[in-house]
Amino acid sequence: MVEHHPPTDFLTEYVAGVLPVAQSACVAGHLSYCQRCRQLTDKLEDIGGAHFEQLDPQAVGESILDNVLARLDDPEPLRYARNEASDARLPGLLDRLINGDYADLAWKRVTQSLSISYLKTGDPHHEFALYRIADGGRIPEHTHGGSEMTLVLQGGFADESGEYHPGDFLIREGWDKHSPVALEGEECICLAVLDAPLRFTRLRHRWLNPLLKLRAG
Amino acid sequence: MATKDNAGKSAVANGRGKWNVPTGRRTDEWSEALVLVGESQDRAAFTRFFRHFAPLIKAFALSGSSLSATHADELVQEVMLKVWQKAGGFNPEKAAASTWVYTIARNCRTDMFRRLQKFDTALASDDFELESEEEESFVVLHTRRGAERVRELLGDLPPDQAQILGKVYMEGKSHSEAAAELDLPLGTVKSRVRLAIQKLQGLMEA
Repeated sequence: MVEHHPPTDFLTEYVAGVLPVAQSACVAGHLSYCQRCRQLTDKLEDIGGAHFEQLDPQAVGESILDNVLARLDDPEPLRYARNEASDARLPGLLDRLINGDYADLAWKRVTQSLSISYLKTGDPHHEFALYRIADGGRIPEHTHGGSEMTLVLQGGFADESGEYHPGDFLIREGWDKHSPVALEGEECICLAVLDAPLRFTRLRHRWLNPLLKLRAG
Repeated sequence: MATKDNAGKSAVANGRGKWNVPTGRRTDEWSEALVLVGESQDRAAFTRFFRHFAPLIKAFALSGSSLSATHADELVQEVMLKVWQKAGGFNPEKAAASTWVYTIARNCRTDMFRRLQKFDTALASDDFELESEEEESFVVLHTRRGAERVRELLGDLPPDQAQILGKVYMEGKSHSEAAAELDLPLGTVKSRVRLAIQKLQGLMEA
């Protein structure tokens, strides 16, 4: 059961299509786990539809209709098909970005219990990465200069404010410090979307900070 | 949450019959036209649909004045072609035709913005749609969805809340852009959005 959801104002931005692509992908991932938020986004879309119906119509030339009618028989563009070999638990969009098994990704080891794999979304301002935390492992205490959005994909973790399981969505802003620990029993995999780099706060981990510079794109 | 496998199977098992629930069948003209387009590639119905919706799509393209008239016409064509291609997937029990067209127009506009900004992404907005197996398979929607109902309710919102929803939904402004434009703190914009949605949501369920 998913217990942690994006705030409503954030879902509204998602539905209106104004979120940056990396954040949008993270919210879409949450929706594939969460029926409550899917129902809410349906309503938010109706609000969009109601605004749309009330717009002041702008004249469209007859030639535009002719162009469209002439193109109705064009072949449809091919759509993405799910990768058969991939982890079937993943939401479709993430499946597309990950394109294979977790094991096949390029993982960069940051500490003994933390590896990171950077995925490409094309978002020029946000890093979109998978964090892999060993069973029971801890991410050293850290902070951010910006926002950090997290979606749990596998396993789970706990931090100062709660426990999180697959489908749970979290946003942290600014300089809160936290130190998540993976739950016992399974490796934890999370998706993290950042607009400023992670900063380890403890002296013995700070030397790692240069490794964590933001990799947007 | 049900595993995807189960959800997929139940969707198949329920087939088309899954929507035959008494949630108030939508009989408005545009939903009917869209169903005709989807089921029998009816060009006359499509043309009627075009004449009604193309001017709204153009208005949507031009609100926020970030697209030129040429791009707006291009967007109208893109959206209407998608309407033709996707009409088979339209479900009148699930959404009003106007909401359905709105989501297509929104996706196309977002993608057009990104193209114009030479934004290098492999993701199109359509990729964000949930796969059908991820959608509700047999869950009855308890609230009758309807843009027309929401339209009535929108008139009851305080003007300051309505103004911000318009900026976000139609002009495609983020909350921080809306805040900058209206010279308001971001927190105020967010709380107005939350209050507006809360109110609408309550009324939609009532």
